[in-house]
Amino acid sequence: MNLLAILLGQFISFISRSFNLGNGSTWPGHLALKLNHHFISSLLKNSKTQIVLIAGTNGKTTTSLLIKTILESNGKTTIHNSSGANLLNGIASALVLQSSWTGKLNTDYAIFEVDENALSKVLQEIDPQYVLLLNLFRDQLDRYGEVANVAKKWAEALKDEPTISLILNADDPQIAFIGQQLFNHKKVQYFGLSQQGINTPEHAADSTYCPRCGTKLNYKTVYYSHIGNWECPHCQLKQPQTTIEDFPYMPLEGLYNVYNTLAAVLLCKDLDLSEKQIEAGLKSFNPAFGRQEKIEYAGKQLQFFLSKNPTGFNQSIQTIRSLNAKTILLALNDRFADGTDVSWIWDVDFEKLSDFADNIIITGDRAYDLAVRLKYSRQKMTNEKLKVNIETDLNTSIQRALGSTAQTETLFILPTYTAMLDIRKIVSGRKIL
Amino acid sequence: MTNTRLKNNNLSSILYTLKIGWLYPDLMSTYGDRGNIIVLQKRCEWRGIEAKIEKISVGNDIQRLQTVDFILMGGAEDRQQEIVSKDLKAGKDKILRQLIENKIPGLYICGAYQFLGKYYKEANGNIINGLGIFDVYTENSGSNHTRLIGDIVSQIDPGNPFFNFDSLIGFENHGGRTYLSKNIKPFAQVIRGFGNNGKDQTEGAIYKNSIGTYLHGPLLSKNPKLADCLIKTALTVKYKKEINLEPLDDNLEDSARRVIASRLKLQL
Repeated sequence: MNLLAILLGQFISFISRSFNLGNGSTWPGHLALKLNHHFISSLLKNSKTQIVLIAGTNGKTTTSLLIKTILESNGKTTIHNSSGANLLNGIASALVLQSSWTGKLNTDYAIFEVDENALSKVLQEIDPQYVLLLNLFRDQLDRYGEVANVAKKWAEALKDEPTISLILNADDPQIAFIGQQLFNHKKVQYFGLSQQGINTPEHAADSTYCPRCGTKLNYKTVYYSHIGNWECPHCQLKQPQTTIEDFPYMPLEGLYNVYNTLAAVLLCKDLDLSEKQIEAGLKSFNPAFGRQEKIEYAGKQLQFFLSKNPTGFNQSIQTIRSLNAKTILLALNDRFADGTDVSWIWDVDFEKLSDFADNIIITGDRAYDLAVRLKYSRQKMTNEKLKVNIETDLNTSIQRALGSTAQTETLFILPTYTAMLDIRKIVSGRKIL
Repeated sequence: MTNTRLKNNNLSSILYTLKIGWLYPDLMSTYGDRGNIIVLQKRCEWRGIEAKIEKISVGNDIQRLQTVDFILMGGAEDRQQEIVSKDLKAGKDKILRQLIENKIPGLYICGAYQFLGKYYKEANGNIINGLGIFDVYTENSGSNHTRLIGDIVSQIDPGNPFFNFDSLIGFENHGGRTYLSKNIKPFAQVIRGFGNNGKDQTEGAIYKNSIGTYLHGPLLSKNPKLADCLIKTALTVKYKKEINLEPLDDNLEDSARRVIASRLKLQL
């Protein structure tokens, strides 16, 4: 039965790619699960592949790709599910497409990024060696439910799986507390920072209250959002001891990517790779699509900073500021994958953008909502001062943004998820999903 | 009664000052609630009215709450609602009740709206008592009932202190269904969307100058006329005379409104 699913799935995928219908990333898995409800578990049972699951609001795709790059550059074979295909059918698809025609999976490692709400279900089908939990931020409340509820569900799902090695973010109170509740686990390791930062949480912070007793947390240092060096003054719950706090080479800009890199490095160290091997791997890293990815188009340099929630957006603004951004294209969509509620833009500190941006071009299905947000981020309300250009047509907006970008300058693009896919399609001339 | 008209003044000639009390900004601010504060503050400042934001949260001194001219309280996650409930009942509830009775205008959104009602009944039958300021109650039937999520358009009822001809446009996302008693008026009538309970076409509730509503997050950013009504009412209550506001250029807001209206096949 599994063999049939694999052959059929690979055939569908081949047809779909040949006719340029997108690369068909979830259809083969959908079919396999229809044919055999337990396709994933039955296939994995017969293989020696070690499995790593990665969950968190921000950084799943980048962290998966970092791990994959390090492992592959050290001679290991891996499979992983494509970004956005992070429910059960996406994982099943990755297995279908990368299994041999004898119905076997022969790779050393399988790296799966998992949607916040799918982790419990995935853990019922898969026995991973590792689970990496990156962070929990407010993200599309209309789909994911409340941050604290997600953390609770994760802790419950992991409770009865003491053989899984956990790699957790010590600086995110909700994530750290998951590890602090699991006394039976044989291995729980933490990553976190130890440098000096600011000491008040930014506005978009979600969990500045103790996950155990509800008292307001004290922060010695806040790195961004609610991520930092925390302690509860009431029940004394505090940031756990970290195994890793730094690494000599960082392949990507931005503090949020320091965390992604530390998580990947900690995992690879646990897999007995040396620092040297890991560093060599990181040096061959190319960003995932849309995540600080650089593309050349019409003779100019473009760089994408996928920005899909307040914390991600704040981090993008901070990072492009450090890169001297002058011309910026902001693209806000409200389709299903973006979240249909755009209220979150009011939790982004756009006030910081007005300090340095010379030209801002706004596009997307909800361009005017973003324009209103920017209007209220300024001291004065006059339009000349605004220096904001609204163009709801994506294609025209890109041309206009390129027109205001000097030859030596980079155009910085901060899009939501579906806007990123569409813009990328225009500038690279191909589909990714 | 004097009739004063406010112009785009610079801050050196401040005539009026409003103190905006933001209740539990760190706990009851789940989804862009800050937008309402930013909009109120800027629309005051652009007219030369000084707007001071008083953030009032757990344990902060009660006296500061007593001095505010406007109150905003937003939505929250369940766990955070518990923390707020404990803190309110330790003394702030009495002040809040007094302010509301004294016609201090306020916007109580989603979780805060439910909180000001009589009670909130959870799926398991457990009843959480509210402050009972609004004569409404809320029931949550649990996960077998869908949350009420989506764009919402409503019309403020005539006779309401905040009545204007523009429909309200916003977004709602709530599991609880709220029902009004005969003693309290709804804030608005639903044109598109669910409102209080998805059945009786009512949206929110109004008591004196306090509004309870399910239009969450940055509702005032898409409804600048309501924002101005709130500012005007706050000034009138504070300075005890009618104060008219200079109109502002709301072209961008109107365009954002039209995008949603045309999706819902509505003429604004």
